[in-house]
Amino acid sequence: MIVGVNKEDIPESISCISGRMFGNPNEVVVGHELAGHFHLRTGDQFSMRGQQRKTFTVVGFFSSDASIWGSSMILMSFKDAGELFGKQGVATDIQIHTLPGHNSEIATDLYDIFQNEPYRLQDKHMVELYFKKGFMLKEGIFSALYLVALSLGVPAILVASGFGLSERKKEIGIMKATGWNTLEVLEVISFEQLLISLLGATISILLSILWVKGFNGVFIAQFFVAEITMLPKFTLPARFLPLPCMLSFFFAFILTMVGSIYSSWRASTESPVVSMK
Amino acid sequence: MIRTENLCKSYHCHTRHEVCAIQDVSLHISKNSFVVLHGPSGSGKTTLLNILGTLDRPTNGKIFMSGEDITSFSDISLSRLRREKIGFIFQDFHLIPRLATWENVSYPLIPLGIGQKERLEKSKVLLEKMELGDRLDHSPEELSGGQQQRVAIARALINNPKIIIADEPTSNIDDETSERVLELLKELKSSGTTILVATHDAHFEKIADVVYKMKNGRIE
Repeated sequence: MIVGVNKEDIPESISCISGRMFGNPNEVVVGHELAGHFHLRTGDQFSMRGQQRKTFTVVGFFSSDASIWGSSMILMSFKDAGELFGKQGVATDIQIHTLPGHNSEIATDLYDIFQNEPYRLQDKHMVELYFKKGFMLKEGIFSALYLVALSLGVPAILVASGFGLSERKKEIGIMKATGWNTLEVLEVISFEQLLISLLGATISILLSILWVKGFNGVFIAQFFVAEITMLPKFTLPARFLPLPCMLSFFFAFILTMVGSIYSSWRASTESPVVSMK
Repeated sequence: MIRTENLCKSYHCHTRHEVCAIQDVSLHISKNSFVVLHGPSGSGKTTLLNILGTLDRPTNGKIFMSGEDITSFSDISLSRLRREKIGFIFQDFHLIPRLATWENVSYPLIPLGIGQKERLEKSKVLLEKMELGDRLDHSPEELSGGQQQRVAIARALINNPKIIIADEPTSNIDDETSERVLELLKELKSSGTTILVATHDAHFEKIADVVYKMKNGRIE
């Protein structure tokens, strides 16, 4: 999270543990956890994805007693943040410190002051909920991408590699040689493929859930979550909601069905001699 | 029963050269006759059998079966013809490994809508005749080459075909089983079935009504 705040408005709970507070343009201080994660040191420079004209220099690191000022935060001047987000001179949030137990009184006063103005009032707990909600949404995106990729990938590999196709082709040739016509062959093959596709799609979904929940996404998580190694060092956040699961199942089923029926159809329209080879 | 006029079959190989497997083959196979195609490997025997058995189409020429020109038949009509009139015995058996012996034998009956019980009964009768009554539920892999060939023969007979076409039926089995296969084909011939065999085996020539010698895709 990036916060733009004037140097003199920085809460007292935030303290520099090394280096110094930002003072000049394009200087930032970084929360100690975030700095540790990216191995940042004083003097390092970086830019934001999509906004590479603006380069920031790390001048110090901070820690905070207040949980809302998380240690995974980047602090910069109000002006720099405005430039970075294209909202110069606009403050999106004003933080008000209150004595414990006085929240509702302050809220009532603010309501009287801003009653005709568009604003939103949030207490610390609400902001924390937003953070958590955002985190969970990211889980959902990961799960959906992963689930779709794996549940499509497994059948796609099977279909593309012609898994069992030569045996199937030969069998179709034998069927035709013994008097079955193309429609009769396809009727039987389709029914068999229907069962195989249902089984294949189910296995794909179960395998993908097992891979994440049982094996913590080993080897595969790095393709879906940035900055993760092949062997994740923490429990991978993942949720498997019914809708992505159902959609993935549906696509895996359709892919397997279409792929196998097409290859069977091709084999059944050839002469039995060619299919039996 | 079967008559051919100037049958040709050519293939385009990888070098794009045209290879003629059979050329200008004209022959006549009478009803209830035992016909042998004899010739060295690569002479075109199997190609001719495949075409006569409607498993493949000729590049040129015509085939008449019971007076009908079957070269213009659709895929469905050819399937019906194979189902009703032709039984094919393959050199390498072509049994389906995942099916039991009786299921392999009765496979051609499924598209006829015959129920499982009746299919089992019919297969059982034929397999007992082939002395394989105790192998009904065995998979083809559990059978010897000779036993597999007898299963393939039983499958060819399940629809009471008018013509039996056999491609090298004794090449992959021992001498004793070969004799039994030969006897079986003789029995079939005596019961009114037309037999067409491609073989190297000289025993077949002795009992054949007609022997066609093939060389380089032509009948000599």
